[in-house]
Amino acid sequence: MNIVQLVIDDKPISAPEGTNVFHAAMNNGIYIPGLCYHPKLSQFGGCRLCFVEITERKRTGHRFACAHPVSEGMVVKVNTPRVVRYRKSVMEYLLAHHELSCPTCDKSGECGLQNITYELNLAPGRFRTVRMHYPVIRDNPVLELNRNRCVLCGRCVSTCKEIEGLSAIDFQNRGFKTVVGTAFDRPLECSFCGGCVAVCPTGAWQDRTLGFRGRAWEFTSTPTICPYCSVGCTVVVDTKAGNVRRIVSNDRLGINEGNLCVKGRFGHEFIHSPERLKTPLIRRNGEFSPATWNDALDYVSKRFQEIIQKYGGTSIGGIGSERCTNEDNYLFQKFCRAVLGTNVIDNISNMKSPYLNRLIYQSVVNGIATPFLRELEQANTLFFFGADVTEAHPVIGSMARKAIRLNNANLVIANVRDVQFNSNAKNDVRLFYTLGSQIILINALMKVIIEEGLVDEKKAEAATNHFHELCSALNMVTVSEASQQTGVPEETIRNAARILAKPGRCHIICGKDIEEDPSGEVAVKALLNLCALLNILGNNEDKRASVLFSRSHNNSQGVNDMGVVPEFLPGYLDLNDASHRERVKKIWGRKLPEHVVKEDSVNVIDLMLNGKVKALYVIGENPVMTYPYGKDVREACKKLDFLVVQDAFLTETAQMADVVLPTAIFAEKEGTFTNMGMTVQRLNRALQPAGEARQDWEILCELAKKMGYSFSYLSVKEVLQEIGSLSPIYAGIQYDRLKRKEFRWISSFYDKNPRAPYTFEIIRPPSAAIVKRKDFPYLLLTGASLNHHGSFSRHAKALIAIAPECFVEISRKVAQDAGILNGDTVTIESLQNKIKLKVKVTDRIPEGIVFIPEDYEWVPVNLLRNKIYTPVKIYKETE
Amino acid sequence: MILPLLKGLALTLRRFLNPKTCATELYPEERPKLSTRFRGLPELQIGKDGREKCVACGLCAKVCPSQCISIEGAEDETHRRYPKTYELDAFRCIFCGFCEEACPVRAIILRDTFELATYEKKDVFDKEKLLDLTRKRNLPR
Repeated sequence: MNIVQLVIDDKPISAPEGTNVFHAAMNNGIYIPGLCYHPKLSQFGGCRLCFVEITERKRTGHRFACAHPVSEGMVVKVNTPRVVRYRKSVMEYLLAHHELSCPTCDKSGECGLQNITYELNLAPGRFRTVRMHYPVIRDNPVLELNRNRCVLCGRCVSTCKEIEGLSAIDFQNRGFKTVVGTAFDRPLECSFCGGCVAVCPTGAWQDRTLGFRGRAWEFTSTPTICPYCSVGCTVVVDTKAGNVRRIVSNDRLGINEGNLCVKGRFGHEFIHSPERLKTPLIRRNGEFSPATWNDALDYVSKRFQEIIQKYGGTSIGGIGSERCTNEDNYLFQKFCRAVLGTNVIDNISNMKSPYLNRLIYQSVVNGIATPFLRELEQANTLFFFGADVTEAHPVIGSMARKAIRLNNANLVIANVRDVQFNSNAKNDVRLFYTLGSQIILINALMKVIIEEGLVDEKKAEAATNHFHELCSALNMVTVSEASQQTGVPEETIRNAARILAKPGRCHIICGKDIEEDPSGEVAVKALLNLCALLNILGNNEDKRASVLFSRSHNNSQGVNDMGVVPEFLPGYLDLNDASHRERVKKIWGRKLPEHVVKEDSVNVIDLMLNGKVKALYVIGENPVMTYPYGKDVREACKKLDFLVVQDAFLTETAQMADVVLPTAIFAEKEGTFTNMGMTVQRLNRALQPAGEARQDWEILCELAKKMGYSFSYLSVKEVLQEIGSLSPIYAGIQYDRLKRKEFRWISSFYDKNPRAPYTFEIIRPPSAAIVKRKDFPYLLLTGASLNHHGSFSRHAKALIAIAPECFVEISRKVAQDAGILNGDTVTIESLQNKIKLKVKVTDRIPEGIVFIPEDYEWVPVNLLRNKIYTPVKIYKETE
Repeated sequence: MILPLLKGLALTLRRFLNPKTCATELYPEERPKLSTRFRGLPELQIGKDGREKCVACGLCAKVCPSQCISIEGAEDETHRRYPKTYELDAFRCIFCGFCEEACPVRAIILRDTFELATYEKKDVFDKEKLLDLTRKRNLPR
């Protein structure tokens, strides 16, 4: 890209060719007033305020800065008298029909219109003021549209279309009557991402969760990391008087470019929920009674010591948290290993897919794993495999749409359901395979790539191992057979493979449906094969493919990095390796427990079930509801002698506990989160913890001291330093530096280790784990939901108002056969259990499958499941 | 030398004995006469609907040099913005009248309330107390 030199307001600047004058000025700290231009949106040119004088090729003229590209030798003047006069008259027009309700408008103080009025020193205008009297639209719990304040800049319309891909709002009418609104003025039906609120330069769009509870100048803004999904968006927590009033986004911070989803922006009311735990609770005679910290921790340490003496340390298990910080989790596993002397520790994501850590680490070694999330915006091809990004990781969807809009990226989506992903991709191929046939589909894609000669075989043989074996193994499969087995038309498979093989960067996003599938391990391996194959395609050097493994919670990656898994020490150091144990022993000063769980299938819950684990210590997790097999976990918890739960709310697990310790939540904490792109980001503390709640790491330090092993950390900084010295992948991390720049452990990994050549593993699809039963004709599929996630969202009023009830999605055919209507309450019964839910009839899922989102944590979906695809039946109970 | 002194004393005595020119105020038996520009305690005004006029815009709190005003805004059932709490720390107030000047809806006016002595050390005027001042004023005498 060529760099162009130009002069703006006597300041020589350089900008890449193709940028507009407005953007170039903004990047160099020169202010041009404007309401409609936004760097993350396409230009609109509607407000007419960025009028500047431009001298170009010896001609002087007046242009709009947002719509004029920079050119060599250009001279721009922002504030000539004529320009200012023009701008003033534009503002007079805008203000002539503006509501001017600044005293009651929540935008006041950060309003673009207000600021420009102030800057230009405008006196009452010359024009007759004509006020509009549109009613304020408040048809949903979080957004409010006051069209009397709208300046028709079109930013919300572009955001909705380009970033969220929904086009839920657009301009209506013409001329003076033009307004922003939904089609036919129906109630707003969108994802409620709140992007319109973030970009609105005036107070037309408002965040209703703020509810007039503060003014822009009264807030203390603290940027921190969102506590919901694993994208790790930066959110700015606005507090007043020690109370969170709203959450806003900042375009310049973090990885999300100011894009958030409904949970991140509006799901903050749980922070001050009255249901927060404020004091430690101890169960006495079957009832919880509040206790002091000293009593509670004394009791816990006494009981732990009794159990260690009676049954040995390995009879205590631990479940780490996908929501707590890296430091909390590190200290947790250190506490379990060094103080309790047990290796029976795990986290829910590892229990769901125990192979994933190994495979991710393997793919990191091979150099095909996990791009920096912002790199998705430079993608040329995006392949969502079993991933429902719109529901699970909405901001990844926004990044993908940016790649599609700016880079003309191709899109391939493979899923069992017809997942919603709106974009204007030119090549948008959807592969709807039948449940359980994903491996056949991946093999077929590889087959097409090799068969059609898209791959240079000599190069492939040089770059990888076992390529020949792969080819011969793939010779056994034919695309037409695969097409029959997967239910995807042959031509669609071929088309998808050709698109994937196109030059440029290709990012494969491996979704939850693949990772948590019964045949997940094989499927992920097959996907890595495909990725490695794409990586060696063609002659062109910049062809790089990578797999992004989607993780569910904000720190699902971090908890595994920190070694809250049975087989790894922090940083994926193999626990069975004596040298690693020696190294850890040196730093911790304690011997590690010898007992190592080797079998993947044996996890904490299983050990609890067969009575080997007598006590359990759970931090920040609710396994009773989130562990996939509900019956097992409930029985296992009942068998326990002693259960300690450390959480911010009295969750279902906490209700079964003997001691509950209240903890701080994200806005009250310090520490780091690692997102699914392996980026370590730092939290900032905005509040004091509610009541007597403490941060998890502080509790662990205190408890360790009571059990006779001193954790002498003064702050999370020291914990992070120890993590850096212990685990090779976090080496070089510095807490203070994280404030300015995030840390990506993969980048530092590649600085030290070269990418190893990939060894193809021959994947044969396992025999289908589908058991078809006549009495249970449908298969249950669970997945993510946009509006809820984890145990926080259920206490957020706004999210509950948007999505009050869990639902079951069934196809139209199934509904017709069973005589079920949309909105009916039905019973879903499996061999294990039954639950009642509302029905959503949709065309988006195939026949023979029912879909229940598992993120509505209060609904025990896990009670239905067994270890393979769960057959269920649906019926309407007659009363 | 003594003559001018007596002259002066005579004038004083004349004024002192004449009830029309006497400067002594019989406070508290008699109310003092206050100038119309007197700035007493800020009082919250009541609108036609019988509720506070204040819209909780926060400008008075922002402009207050002694930072004695704190407001918590809220939304009522008609989506009107109103102050859920309005606290004025009379100990800190310097009666400058900036709040009155800043108020866009004339909801706060410094009237003639100046008797602020209390038995409580911490006496913050809350919204109801400030409105009561106006309510009393509106009662038929």
